[in-house]
Amino acid sequence: MERKAQARAAHAAMSTALGAVMMFGAVAGAYAQDKTEITFSYLWGGAEGAALEQIITDFNASQDKIVVKGVSSPDMTKQLASMSSAKGAFDISDNFASNIASWSNQGILLPLDEFGLDTSDFPESIMKQLVVDGTLYSVPIATHNFQLVYNKKLLDEAGVTPPTSMAELADAIKKLTKVDAEGNVTQLGLGLTDISAGLKTLGYAHGGDWNRDGKPTPTDPGFVEGVKFYFDNVVAPVTPAAYNKFVAGFGPYMSDQDSFKQGKIAMVFEGEWRSKFNTEAGMDWGVVPVPGKTPELNGSTWADVSTLFIPTNTPNKEAAGEFLKYLISPPAMEKFSHVLANLPGRLSLVDSATYDDLPNFKVWLDALKNPNTHGLPPALYMAEYNADLASAFDSVLQGAQTPEAALQAVADRTGSYSQ
Amino acid sequence: MSVARSRQSEPTGRALLKGLAFASPFIIGFLVLYLWPILASGYYSLTDFSLFKAPKWVGLANYERMISDAKFWKSLYNTLFFTFVGVPVDIAISIAGAHILNQKLKGQPLWRALVYLPSIVPAVAAGFLWRWLLNAQYGFVNEILRWFRIPQPNWLLDASWGGISVIVLMLWTVGGTMLIYLAALKNVPQELYEAAELDGAGPLRRFWHITWPMISPVTLFQVIVLIIAFLQVFTQPFVLSKDPGLGTQTATGPGDSMLSYSIYLFQNGFTFLKMGYASAMAWVLLFVTLGITLLILWSAKKWVFYDNR
Repeated sequence: MERKAQARAAHAAMSTALGAVMMFGAVAGAYAQDKTEITFSYLWGGAEGAALEQIITDFNASQDKIVVKGVSSPDMTKQLASMSSAKGAFDISDNFASNIASWSNQGILLPLDEFGLDTSDFPESIMKQLVVDGTLYSVPIATHNFQLVYNKKLLDEAGVTPPTSMAELADAIKKLTKVDAEGNVTQLGLGLTDISAGLKTLGYAHGGDWNRDGKPTPTDPGFVEGVKFYFDNVVAPVTPAAYNKFVAGFGPYMSDQDSFKQGKIAMVFEGEWRSKFNTEAGMDWGVVPVPGKTPELNGSTWADVSTLFIPTNTPNKEAAGEFLKYLISPPAMEKFSHVLANLPGRLSLVDSATYDDLPNFKVWLDALKNPNTHGLPPALYMAEYNADLASAFDSVLQGAQTPEAALQAVADRTGSYSQ
Repeated sequence: MSVARSRQSEPTGRALLKGLAFASPFIIGFLVLYLWPILASGYYSLTDFSLFKAPKWVGLANYERMISDAKFWKSLYNTLFFTFVGVPVDIAISIAGAHILNQKLKGQPLWRALVYLPSIVPAVAAGFLWRWLLNAQYGFVNEILRWFRIPQPNWLLDASWGGISVIVLMLWTVGGTMLIYLAALKNVPQELYEAAELDGAGPLRRFWHITWPMISPVTLFQVIVLIIAFLQVFTQPFVLSKDPGLGTQTATGPGDSMLSYSIYLFQNGFTFLKMGYASAMAWVLLFVTLGITLLILWSAKKWVFYDNR
């Protein structure tokens, strides 16, 4: 009798437990059905990735219709491959402005006009890069530009004040470059941590442009002059062989062996992310707008953009669009750009006090409003053109070709570019 | 009569089906993963194709473009330089090393394992390691050269040394070839050496008249395998040319000296989205490889010795 009661009690307990599990499953199922899950694949990793994950968490907590799953995937080839299939591996992702024209031409980017985004707050130099044939394909999550960053300690030791003109820059390079008795370079007045970015900046500072009216213009006189300025003032005085031997000892960028951090180079054209790195590295540093060949050209630079896009093969357009709107909303953009020490893509954030704790950041922020900040036109040939320019720059720095000859060789190849 | 034939053929047909079923993983894999892509790339090479849009027929335009593409010729020249310098040096080091390993040395198994060790290191990891070893300022290689007062080249940033650096990295895995030669040396009958010694032949003559002919079939195999590997080289120049301090992303090295054929093919296909042109380049590489291989096979009649003939 007692055993029967025990069995009945056990049976009842099991039934209750089973019922509870089924009810929980049903509720969870209904909950999952209500929510659309989308994947945000981003190229960032490390601290940047962690900042994005925090924003994703905030978004997921802010509403109950969409669940975003973040995936860090820094492989651009994989990103492209995913967009070639009928259904891709992600619903929203990021890249750079230089790829937007080519990718939109391939039909793999979803036009964003249907989402009714307000783009009036984005700087013109930025928007110019994201609209292809009148259609918006991508939006900025962060922007970047280049200014002249200098090592205060080295400039003070040499009695040099931060240059404000091209003549002063040439003079400062001379005073800050050191060569030992055996002809080995021990310090460069002006270095390049990104050859292409640095030489393009010098081209703009000489009134040149390597892309005019949507056409590659590698032999633009001002652009050639910019490259020539670097060779004549930095490379030639120490000889190309000594220059390249010294450069060969540069450690990984933004590491403890970073050439600027180590004091191997006194000045460098750098982006705003340096503010955080230099400060964390305990450096005594400063930044001035890029000196121009003429006073009107002072502050000449160019803007690059970290962009967000939705691939055409996403089955979750609406949800991806909602998340995109959230990411570029002022609070999310401000939070993200601040953590990364990147520039925001909105003019309304330029004067935000949030960035006050990033030393010298204002020089880069102000450039967002400067008419001398150039934006690159959306062009199909950008990847190929950049690769050819990189080869040409290398050839100049090797002393193998003059700037004129190297850039003419690029001009000779532009005929085969996708137009 | 016909009944008997059908009785006989029935089990044969079933056996054939069974055989095909068992072989189907390979057959399907071959058709889908090899034959279809090969045929498709042949078609794409005659089109303007970017992976994302439908291919557009352009006939031989992609092949014609190669004629005037300076980077195509540069990449082909570099690759042939890697191959025709790297393969003979690889073979020479392997044969010399195999002879040393064939001596009665103490701890022989350990030496053999040590020479093979680099072959099991992933090529990317080896590339990063060698990037530091070849560093012109702090590299160990230049440090050794400095001890001997030999001029120290700027291995990775001097156009005239970029290609040599790639070959050095390729030769780091020479241990694999060395061990194959070691096996070949062990198969050479000792009585041939004894007879030659009785006839007064010195070490060089013994090598030239006994060892070299006897290991020539292995040499033929190794030459063809190495040529194919060198013609397809990608990882080594790709890693070496990505300089950590310069922020460059060219993957072509100083003066494009590390621009291998495969790297340029990859750039065209996946960076410039010119998959049609990349496919055409792949077919040219196939014919270059085929041409060189056939030439070597033809020449083999004159220098390869098979003792069973």
